[in-house]
Amino acid sequence: MPSDNKKKRAHSAREKPSQYGSDIDLENYNYSTSKPNDLESLDELSEQDRILTQEVGFDPSQERVSATFMQFDNESFLADVLIQQEGLEVMPTDQALQKYDWLHDYLWNAVQVDTDKYTARSELENYSGYFIRATAGSKIKMPVQSCLIMKKNQSVQNVHNIVIAEEGSELHIITGCATPSNVEQSLHLGVSEFYVKKKARLTFTMVHRWSEMTDVRPRSATIVEENGTFISSYAILSPLKSIQTFPKVRLVEPGAKADLYSVVYGSKKSKYDIGGLLSLEAPNSSGKVISRSIATDECEIIARGDLIGLSGETRGRLECDGLLVSNTAVIRAVPMLAARAEGSELSHEATVGKVGAEQLSYLMSRGLNEEEATSLIIRGFVKLKVPDLPPALQKSIDDAIKMSMEGSM
Amino acid sequence: MNDDILLETRDLRVEVNGVPILGGIDLTFKIGQVYAVLGPNASGKSTLAKTIMGLPEYKVTGGDILFNSKSILGESITDRARMGIAYAFQTPPRISGVKLDDFICRVCPDYQCSDDSETFMGETCACKQILYDDFERLGIRNLANRDLNDGFSGGELKRSELFQVLSMRPKVMFLDEPDSGLDYDSLKIVGKELKAIREKHEVTLVIISHHRYVLEFLEVDKVYILQHGKLVYIGDMSDIPVLEEKGYERFLAEMTG
Ligand SMILES: Nc1ncnc2c1ncn2[C@@H]1O[C@H](COP(=O)(O)OP(=O)(O)OP(=O)(O)O)[C@@H](O)[C@H]1O
Ligand SMILES: [Mg+2]
Repeated sequence: MPSDNKKKRAHSAREKPSQYGSDIDLENYNYSTSKPNDLESLDELSEQDRILTQEVGFDPSQERVSATFMQFDNESFLADVLIQQEGLEVMPTDQALQKYDWLHDYLWNAVQVDTDKYTARSELENYSGYFIRATAGSKIKMPVQSCLIMKKNQSVQNVHNIVIAEEGSELHIITGCATPSNVEQSLHLGVSEFYVKKKARLTFTMVHRWSEMTDVRPRSATIVEENGTFISSYAILSPLKSIQTFPKVRLVEPGAKADLYSVVYGSKKSKYDIGGLLSLEAPNSSGKVISRSIATDECEIIARGDLIGLSGETRGRLECDGLLVSNTAVIRAVPMLAARAEGSELSHEATVGKVGAEQLSYLMSRGLNEEEATSLIIRGFVKLKVPDLPPALQKSIDDAIKMSMEGSM
Repeated sequence: MNDDILLETRDLRVEVNGVPILGGIDLTFKIGQVYAVLGPNASGKSTLAKTIMGLPEYKVTGGDILFNSKSILGESITDRARMGIAYAFQTPPRISGVKLDDFICRVCPDYQCSDDSETFMGETCACKQILYDDFERLGIRNLANRDLNDGFSGGELKRSELFQVLSMRPKVMFLDEPDSGLDYDSLKIVGKELKAIREKHEVTLVIISHHRYVLEFLEVDKVYILQHGKLVYIGDMSDIPVLEEKGYERFLAEMTG
């Protein structure tokens, strides 16, 4: 699609509300007018920023990673591929688009630019973000880490990420997004497009930690080709103003696979509307959408899951489970299944329950106090069926539960 | 003499959901002694133990519970557990996602890691070998890595409860039917564990049971029989065979008649 055509479609969707989530007046924010600057190295990070990045699983020492991408607001960034990572590329999206003509075919391909006003706005303003590519056959064993930090008040961080795992490659990405808790009113628009080619394997782990005045509207989609595998784990652990996201994965060729895991730990008066859609479009494609929601304080969580079977010989599984820790919190699990082809096997399970009084008493009778017992039950609930969480993510989840329990009681 | 008394209930009255279950019970438990609390089904044995443990649905409407001569009615379950009261549940609830071995490491000082600052639940315990030996001794090594009470068989549940309660090193333990559903071999294992404790004369054992084997093997010091939420008989070991022969109805009719 030529780029002026994209702009045209973006313009046409400028006022188009999102299907889900509260509406945000996009005129209330300042958009970046300049191109971001280079950060020389991670040594320039302040101590505060260093801690903030670690809270979302980032490792400033870069010990066990293959590359690092970091960005502050829309202002400055760092893209650093560590020594001898043959076949790995990490750079800001705008630079990559200048470097590679073909990349324009991947821009707004998985995600449609006219999806809603947020995608439209993202296209119409200056954006940055990362481009990450593993070339054909490259097995990049150590993860690429990325961290997007938003520190300015009244402003918008607008990123457009493109990830390509070429044929037969292996790529792992761990990404964190964070705002310091003192940031007043801000908006994060994040478009992410993932392309998993034949026999490639891409894992993507994302941790979010926002401030209570941040609205977040990520828009992401993935296209998986023949025998490719996409595994996404997402955790949001902090309060925020609102988030609405509904990532979509299309399994377009035979043997394609995707598992989407999400953990929402809701607190304060935050509103979370988080989903996942899996579209099974070719024989032998299969996948799972698994979510665990924990609601504390007065938060509101909507957990959506959507499976669409467009081809026979497909299998999809949906699990939306919620645990209420407070009487004033709400969880709504919304499972959707649509089989449009014979031989598409779709199943789901949805449960929402309170922490059991009997379980609490039992654990307390073994000497745990009420907070400890509650967090143990929550931890167990999260652990259930969200296998192989990266240790950093597991630790962030533990810390969030611990902190919230200690804070609230 | 009173110095020996660890725990006592005085005219203890308890209701659940507004229904009276215990109607004024006076019991004393002395340090290092072994007690059998017996009685027909639904007589209030489990209720008594759970009330002493402090479970919130068991509301004390009258009387008192004294531990070391101090009332504990105002103490939470946690506080009671920490002061040395333990209860092995008759039907423990399932806790998903929490492994039995991790849990025991977490709650039992003996198995706790010295460097657990990084491991919230003691997950990377280096000291698990001792723990596993103890699992082995109770014949439940296979449960170590399973979720707490998730799909445990009847006999496994009993031994897992016993193991947890033992490792807490309590001053008094209420064992709610520790012998029900056990096969002959497991019964011997449980009997031996309890006998070892009895022989140290430090821990007070209160055993709720419907079978004579463990009670006789341990040579209980005292037998309390409850009926309809009241203490109706105090006796000793010698009553147990008679009780088995006659059944509660006839036994109590003849004794209290
Ligand atoms: N949580 C509860 N809710 C309602 N009723 C209860 C509850 N706990 C106990 N009861 C009732 O109190 C009475 C005594 O029960 P309890 O469990 O103490 O009996 P028990 O002597 O332990 O019997 P068993 O030998 O069958 O275990 C029963 O009628 C029981 O139904
Ligand atoms: Mg009972």
